[in-house]
Amino acid sequence: MALDPEFKPDHGDWLCAVCNVPLEQLKVQVFYMNSAFDVVLPRCPQCGMTLIPESLANGKMAEVEALLEDK
Amino acid sequence: MLEARTQSLCPVCLRRLDAFYVREGEAVFLCKTCPEHGEFKAPVWRDNGEVPLFADWRKGSRIPAYPARPAVEVRHGCPFDCGLCAEHAQHTCTGLIEVTQRCSLRCPICFARSGRSGHAPSPETIARQMDALFAASGSCNIQLSGGEPTEREDLPDIVAMAASRGFGLVQLNSNGLRLGTEENYARRLREAGLDSVYLQFDAVSDEVCLALRGRKCLDEKLAAIEACRDAGLGVVLVCTLVRGVNDGLLGDTLRWAVAQGQHVRGLHIQPVSSFGRFPWELEAAPRITLPEIMTALEVQSSGMVHAADFHAPSCEHSMCSFSAVYAREGEGLSAPIGAACCSGGSGVKVEDVQPQSIDNAEGSRISRAFTAAHWRNATQENTPSLHDAFSRFLSQSGTARRFTLSAMAFQDALSFDIERVRGCCIHVVHEDGRLVPFCAYNLTSLGGVSLYRGRP
Repeated sequence: MALDPEFKPDHGDWLCAVCNVPLEQLKVQVFYMNSAFDVVLPRCPQCGMTLIPESLANGKMAEVEALLEDK
Repeated sequence: MLEARTQSLCPVCLRRLDAFYVREGEAVFLCKTCPEHGEFKAPVWRDNGEVPLFADWRKGSRIPAYPARPAVEVRHGCPFDCGLCAEHAQHTCTGLIEVTQRCSLRCPICFARSGRSGHAPSPETIARQMDALFAASGSCNIQLSGGEPTEREDLPDIVAMAASRGFGLVQLNSNGLRLGTEENYARRLREAGLDSVYLQFDAVSDEVCLALRGRKCLDEKLAAIEACRDAGLGVVLVCTLVRGVNDGLLGDTLRWAVAQGQHVRGLHIQPVSSFGRFPWELEAAPRITLPEIMTALEVQSSGMVHAADFHAPSCEHSMCSFSAVYAREGEGLSAPIGAACCSGGSGVKVEDVQPQSIDNAEGSRISRAFTAAHWRNATQENTPSLHDAFSRFLSQSGTARRFTLSAMAFQDALSFDIERVRGCCIHVVHEDGRLVPFCAYNLTSLGGVSLYRGRP
């Protein structure tokens, strides 16, 4: 079992529009409402701009958001 | 000792004043002096015991977010230009639309001063309010409020109007009387698109109902909770907390709420605020501050929850609320697993990335994707792989196994802090479409004059 499984882009090869370099799979810490999540996401190695793949945004991240925000 | 500076209003003439948080022993007071009406002060934070200190809590962790398209110009300064203006420092998490001023109760305490008669806007006006809210705030959450919304016969149609516009969550603020007494009513609302009921529920006690609601109505409220469960509606129990009336019952209320099961999603405590209608002199109000509620919950719950579990909000101003999300364990709670928000929202912060470096359209798309799935997925059981941090979190806190405990302190003419109002994310939608922070909308002076409610 990989400790930090990667969330890759749903399709295609992505370039950072600002730096014009390919995104790399890098470890990122995502914070939301006092919770931190260590994940590996496509990220620009120069400026740090990070892509959240659509499947992740619509899937697990949305579920986590619903859990944290529900009242 | 001076703890912090802000601005407030004179409770008599509502002019803007410099104000000071001053510590006297184990309490922090908001103090201000009107050149015409003299000195005023009110306790806002009593931090004796194992609770966060005022200065630590007030720092907070929230990230300001300014309106993308301010609806009004800054002319007189906060809080006299609400609409929202360019200086407002938080987006809308929940937009409130008051669909009627009528109510089936006439509570001694009511910020809206509702009663048996009152104005109800036309469906066309409500549609325009919803459109204005969506234009300003996108797919935020919407709460239908009042008055008592179920007094309107066309409430299912209004729920459907809200659901069809794509708001993240459609919630009903209700006293529960009609939900508990009319067969199939909860189901009709659910079928119209309602997601959640924000249910007035002060304690499992008819004596408390009598004191705070003017009559005994516990049976109706219990029936309302069952009707919501049967209809598939989530329920948040909303407890108005009054010193000497139900503050000693907090632990019992919490245990009872948790034991109901997963349809009761949480307990939300609102220490009573003195605006609108209230049965005491403003300066003699029985104030109970957030850290006192933290302590009471810890002591009265026999350790089920602890003051250290609670987080300051990352959305509204830190002085306005606290919360914790727990994993359920049998009929109790186990470890806290996070913090809740005032309600929905859609922000996410990725470390080291400046907000402006995310293309606006992409940010907006991600937000919409988030909120689109907000509630629908919340009712699904998860089967995570456990391979990543998100999955591990989900496996520990599946929908059926969590409970949210939160409290929100509203502001009145003595405790009003303009910095808190600027950080507010709960906005009442005026009939002309302006968005007004909740406490500014409901504020009344010592003489009963409103800043916004009932004014053009």
